Amino acid sequence: MAIDRRKIAVFGAAFVLRLLLICIFPSLPDLLTGRVEVSTPVSSFKRLQEGLFLYTRNVSPYDGGVFHQAPLLLPLFALLPDAKSSPLPTAIFYFLVDLLNAHALISISASGQSVQSRLHSAVRKHVRWDGVSVAALFLFNPFTIATCLARSTNVFTTSGILFAVSNAVGGNSINAMLALGFASYLSLYPALLFIPLVLLCYDRRLQGPAPPNSTSFIVQHGGLLLATVAGLLGLSCLITGNFWEFISATYGFHLLVPDLTPNVGLWWYFFIEMFDSFREFFLGVFWLHLASYVGGLTAHFRSQPLFVITSLLGIFAIFKPYPSISDASLFFALLPLYRHLFPLMRYTFFAGAAILYSSLLGPAFYHLWIYAGSGNANFFYAITLVWSLGLSVLLADVIFAAIRDEWEQENPERVGLKVRQV
Amino acid sequence: MTTKTGDQESPLASQVDPQTSVSRVPPPETPAAVQTRFRVIAAFWAVIIFLGFPIWWKTTSIYRASLPLEEMVHWADGKTCRPVFPLEIHLSTPSLPYIEAQHLLRTTQHTLDDLNEFAAHHLRLKLANDTTGDHTGQDSSEHVNYAARETPDTALTVRLLPQEGLASPRSELHAATTQLDVFYPPSQIPVSSSSNSPLSTFIAAELQQLYGEEKATIAHILSGDTARLASTSPQLAEDISRRLRRSMKYAETYHLSFSLFTPGAEPSSWDIEAAVNEYVSPLLQALSPISNFTVDTQVQLYANFAPTAPKPEYDESEAVWTLKKEGLSAFVNAAEWPLNPSIGTGPTINFILYVPDPSQSPLVVKENSASSWIVPQWGGVFLLNPPLSNDEQGSRSNPAHLSLGSLGPAFMTFSHQLLTLLGTPSTPASLPLRLQTSIRIRAATLLLSASSTMGSLARLTESLPSIPIPATVATSVSTTLSHLTATCSHLREGRFGAALASARVAETEAERSFFEKSMVGQVYFPDEHKVAVYLPLLGPIGVPLVVGLLRELKRIAAKRKAKAS
Repeated sequence: MAIDRRKIAVFGAAFVLRLLLICIFPSLPDLLTGRVEVSTPVSSFKRLQEGLFLYTRNVSPYDGGVFHQAPLLLPLFALLPDAKSSPLPTAIFYFLVDLLNAHALISISASGQSVQSRLHSAVRKHVRWDGVSVAALFLFNPFTIATCLARSTNVFTTSGILFAVSNAVGGNSINAMLALGFASYLSLYPALLFIPLVLLCYDRRLQGPAPPNSTSFIVQHGGLLLATVAGLLGLSCLITGNFWEFISATYGFHLLVPDLTPNVGLWWYFFIEMFDSFREFFLGVFWLHLASYVGGLTAHFRSQPLFVITSLLGIFAIFKPYPSISDASLFFALLPLYRHLFPLMRYTFFAGAAILYSSLLGPAFYHLWIYAGSGNANFFYAITLVWSLGLSVLLADVIFAAIRDEWEQENPERVGLKVRQV
Repeated sequence: MTTKTGDQESPLASQVDPQTSVSRVPPPETPAAVQTRFRVIAAFWAVIIFLGFPIWWKTTSIYRASLPLEEMVHWADGKTCRPVFPLEIHLSTPSLPYIEAQHLLRTTQHTLDDLNEFAAHHLRLKLANDTTGDHTGQDSSEHVNYAARETPDTALTVRLLPQEGLASPRSELHAATTQLDVFYPPSQIPVSSSSNSPLSTFIAAELQQLYGEEKATIAHILSGDTARLASTSPQLAEDISRRLRRSMKYAETYHLSFSLFTPGAEPSSWDIEAAVNEYVSPLLQALSPISNFTVDTQVQLYANFAPTAPKPEYDESEAVWTLKKEGLSAFVNAAEWPLNPSIGTGPTINFILYVPDPSQSPLVVKENSASSWIVPQWGGVFLLNPPLSNDEQGSRSNPAHLSLGSLGPAFMTFSHQLLTLLGTPSTPASLPLRLQTSIRIRAATLLLSASSTMGSLARLTESLPSIPIPATVATSVSTTLSHLTATCSHLREGRFGAALASARVAETEAERSFFEKSMVGQVYFPDEHKVAVYLPLLGPIGVPLVVGLLRELKRIAAKRKAKAS
């Protein structure tokens, strides 16, 4: 039971740390809620409060044009006591969601899919961290803590994705599709993870006793995902009453990006500057750019679907329309599963430095622009570029390391040789 | 930044270290790796071809609704419609038997036709149905249901009244109605045999004179050339072009702004609401078929002249302060007086009531002692010199409040100025007749202006093939054309009120279609600039994709060749 004790210690410490933070700094959650790096228009807790206020007074929550999140969150939060007068229950609810996410991470790590799957077996499979360390890295990641304290609803999307993956690696493909359906219902973009996830389920199933037919397996699971989303949409329709209003206020808002509030992503500045007549075209380009990686990565890493999911999550953290640090924290949560690739990575220092640099200077430059008035939008935009650069370098490096790992597996006699770009 | 996985292979595949060891060449790519690379490139290109190109096509194609270009150009060239103005004049002959009245009508009409030299504008006489002829003067207040009526508008009613003891006929125009009374000696009733009589000549000449200015104005508008009409005196032509210069450009809505300016603290209030109700509202009511009006008022104290404006001079002989005529243009201190140039859409007509400082009172214009003048296409100014009161110290001051009575002359002047600024002709003396004239002139102006806008839009559409034409523009154009047709037929049938109503719709729609925002935006965006829009983002994304595709194609071609040989 040593491992269990470690797990309890890590979970307890993470819980106490969060509790201490909100007890010592009671204004911290509200401060973080207002930060553009943490709260985006589609995940902000403040906007959720607004929607909740309207909902509890029997007004359509989308009437104010402020709330753009999924309607099923409303009855859930209506059960919790008011966050303004008694913030603790809501905060503890978020803490528990974080711990659940960490639990899912542990089960992903325990399955060992990251180092050894049906078609692939890493060269350095002994170099790895155990599940509790991975969970600890997730729980004590400042980005995760900030997201949790800011009560961003991205946390639920994260849960959906992590549970989908943990169920998939556990062989429970139906639950995986249900969880992915929930995540897609909340944030739309997780639907892009369907192909690698279904491949992951398929590989797991092939290892089992009764290997299914691949086409019917994929079609069945696609149908299941669609049915899940349709069911959730039906429930939402019951709650809001007006189907098209809620579709255009939530998914329309995701797809058409009408709110150009600054965030850590690359879309807002681009679309502020874009000529109106080309706006639709470039919306299409940006979304296709985001989606185009799915096919390429899946084709290349057919043997490692979990790695495809990890790298796609990294790509989403950079290129999705309203990214926040919580997307980066999800990417960083899955990265430690690939401890065995770290020795092959070449630019970790540069990437780490860029990420640290931008996460320290970002708030400062935002302050200079918005509050001090001594900077302009370019200050903050430059920092978000550095942030994206850091993430991209890290991502490219991991992908490079994974390719190198596959190559070494094919050519065992050349393990450890230096490579040089010509 | 493009983490394109296909490219990541190249450093590995070409891994070579020639300096340390020549023996270490990279192992050949396995067929599986080649296959994978092909799949990756195919995946990216599939997205581009099956999703990218449709999106590109859908979002950047320019929608051009089809416009009836030829018809629009014909309207602009005046080929479709030749506006005519047949004025129906009722002849009411309560004391004449029917046959004689008929005869008088015929001869008068004959004389009129002989006199007329401008075919587009002609007068048609008609015997009034009710011989009592007492429905006069109703038309000006009945404009609301113009469109509903099928019969032509009655322009004028001529009442023939016998009067003893007259040597020759004389006429009398009612100032407030559309009625012309003609008194004639009973001896002058035309006999059936004669083709001409002094009475019919007199009536014809009278009518001709009554509509002389209108005819000249319409001729001026339609042809842009007053010299064409021989009967138009140079004096009249000059008057007309001066009036057209001074009057405001036509607008659907005018904003009237009445401002009280005074250099001191008093007067600080005025009975403006009562004055507007008393003097302006009835006029606006009468003008409502022509345009809509809004009224704003303001009081501005301590309003000083501009420093560069000439100061009033004291005239000893008249004991008044005077402003030089040439200095009037600098009277309005445009920089400091808050005269909003535009309240909403549509132009603002400013009326300024200026109460001079007690030390400079009374203030008049030097040359003619006038106290008001018109600023062309801008508004009017009235200098009000209220009676001064003496207080205990013996200094004089303006009254604190301007009563309705003291505002009367000023607002009479303002209403007159308003009519002038709106381009209402100065003759004849009857206001309803002038308003009717105004309606006809406006209908003609709007017809021409909407037609020429259509022509401009057609030319614009033809000369700029890259601008989008939204469906709303096509709708507006068809509305304009149908209303122009309606205007034309209403004019032909003499229903001028309905013609103006249609013409107003046509003009509004024409302007809307011509100034459609989404159309204008593209004018400044030539095709060459699209490179600058596409390249910065799509270039960097596209180069690796295209290079990857070419490499792959080369490889496939080489493989085919190897297979064939």
